[in-house]
Amino acid sequence: MSDLVLLVLRIGFLLLLWVFVFAIVYALRSDLFGQRARKKDGAAAASPFPSSPMSAAPVAAAGAASAVTAPVSSAPSTPPPTGGRPGANTARRLVITSGPREGTELELPGEQLAIGRSSESGLVIRDDYTSTHHARLMLWNDQWVVQDLDSTNGTFLDGQRVTLPTPVPLDTPVTIGQTTFELRR
Amino acid sequence: MSASTSSAAGPSLATGPGRISDFTSSIRIRLREPARLRNVELPLLLFAIGLSIGAMALVQLGAQGQFDEGMLALPAALGGLALVGHIILRVTAPGADPFLLPIATVLNGIGIAEISRLDIAKPRLGWEALAVKQVVFSAIAMILAFIVLAAFRNIRVLSRYRYIAMFVGIALLLLPMAFKPINGAQVWVTIGGINFQPGELAKIALAVFFAGYLVTARDSLSIIGRRLGPLQFPRARDLGPILIVWVVAMGVLVVQRDLGTSLLYFGLFLVMIYVATARLSWVVLGMTLFIGGALIASQTLGYVNGRFVTWLDAFSNAQYTADRGSYQVVQGLFGLADGGLIGTGLGQGRPDIVPVAESDFIIPSLGEELGLIGLFAILGLYLLMVSRGLRIGHLGDDDFGRLLGVGLSFVIALQTFIVVGGVTRVIPLTGLTTPFLAAGGSSLVANWIIVALLLRLSDGIRPARFPGGLQ
Repeated sequence: MSDLVLLVLRIGFLLLLWVFVFAIVYALRSDLFGQRARKKDGAAAASPFPSSPMSAAPVAAAGAASAVTAPVSSAPSTPPPTGGRPGANTARRLVITSGPREGTELELPGEQLAIGRSSESGLVIRDDYTSTHHARLMLWNDQWVVQDLDSTNGTFLDGQRVTLPTPVPLDTPVTIGQTTFELRR
Repeated sequence: MSASTSSAAGPSLATGPGRISDFTSSIRIRLREPARLRNVELPLLLFAIGLSIGAMALVQLGAQGQFDEGMLALPAALGGLALVGHIILRVTAPGADPFLLPIATVLNGIGIAEISRLDIAKPRLGWEALAVKQVVFSAIAMILAFIVLAAFRNIRVLSRYRYIAMFVGIALLLLPMAFKPINGAQVWVTIGGINFQPGELAKIALAVFFAGYLVTARDSLSIIGRRLGPLQFPRARDLGPILIVWVVAMGVLVVQRDLGTSLLYFGLFLVMIYVATARLSWVVLGMTLFIGGALIASQTLGYVNGRFVTWLDAFSNAQYTADRGSYQVVQGLFGLADGGLIGTGLGQGRPDIVPVAESDFIIPSLGEELGLIGLFAILGLYLLMVSRGLRIGHLGDDDFGRLLGVGLSFVIALQTFIVVGGVTRVIPLTGLTTPFLAAGGSSLVANWIIVALLLRLSDGIRPARFPGGLQ
């Protein structure tokens, strides 16, 4: 075995070692640089508010509904479906009162609204303190109820951490991460 | 009894429609993406096996000028087991991370090749050869890891046994006290001529305990006591756990005379408490405690003091020639210098001059023969492995799994840092093993089990949240 062949082989080995490293980096490239496909629907769900709140919000909410409403609507503990006719004292709007998207408004969907970092959520909140599936608002007996979905940093209703599904009175601050919102009629 | 309960499934439907719906939705996701991640894993794994066999072939060519086909069976056996692992993953965890297994395999394979190279230099033949033992240990470690993978379908179960994990961890740490020290450090258990380092397994048990404990205690540990400049310090009454861990770490340092293990456990606890509470003050507090303790120990304990002197004054003649002096670390540095940028080539250096080159000093051996370029590729592989682990922790569904994922991957990162930092004189040299590379059964078992736990954790992450970057 000549020295030259050995030299070529050992440099070839180093090259292959790096090819292996870069093969892995290439395979997880979209982890490092973001995904085109995900970015597109992420953008749609993440910022429905500033441009056209009325048109985009129901789309996002519908996505959320298809993901998680099924169990609730069939659960026997749920009161008879209220359909699209909430009572006079039922909140219809969600207003963000502080946080990065302060001032934006969202029409509440028919039955429930998922909140979290996931782009499937009806209300997408992306900050360091929000879990992927953080909480949800559900309509029980014409009353919106907030349920914390075992989030890391908690959901706070009027400063109190929510552990059980708790009714949300009108104009009461609900805090998730750095975002606070209120339900309004 | 109404008509709706006439079917057998009636009661369960009434109590858990949510659960059934979750179940069916997860099935839908499985069917949509059958084994995409596994199909990414397979070529990488075959590449890794090829690299392992190639490294062994180069060792044979470089050191002996000819092939010994029998030796090529060693990395081939490793590769065969890795393929078995791949099949087990296809069956039991199709959504698991596709990079961990190939990375662990290639590191293990390169380790076997380098150990075999040192066997040739000594020479150690037949069953005396450490490379053969290393393959046997790898096989045991991988089989144990596969058992963990197949047996624990739900890692969250482990959080119930957090206090058992604590006692197991402490027992494993204390166990070596009953046996006589090897090379000054009392970290070995010798049963029937086989040496085992139970501290390696203790790190898994302690990571499980820390994760389980911090999930329940994070709220009280996050409460701010006093502000000091930009830092928000915890309340004095919440300092109990960190002090206990500090005392244990110092106890390991003083009684077992093992600086590396002590640093590893304390660092693990600090990182996990930081991740759980997001309070930098815990890290500041812990670092102060540990550095303070280590400085006091370096002044009062002869063993720690010796480590510090060999570190700071390695190139003095007195240290170089002293018993337990800096001869080993300096020879390692000479080896690295000899390797230069592209190395001497596998099998063509003199890594055997360094004492215990096959375990503590495998990194300088590889650095000598693969050069800076090769060593950086190896460090890059560690980086990728740890980054995957941290990502698994970051994306996890439940707090216990997230903390465990971060803790386990950080253990690999910290251990690699302590070893590489030690042999390159960044920090004092300590007796820890390089994960997957170094000769040693206990280290292999522990690290393969860590990989199995990370794989299991990553399989639990819903595909929508864990694209693996493969779209």
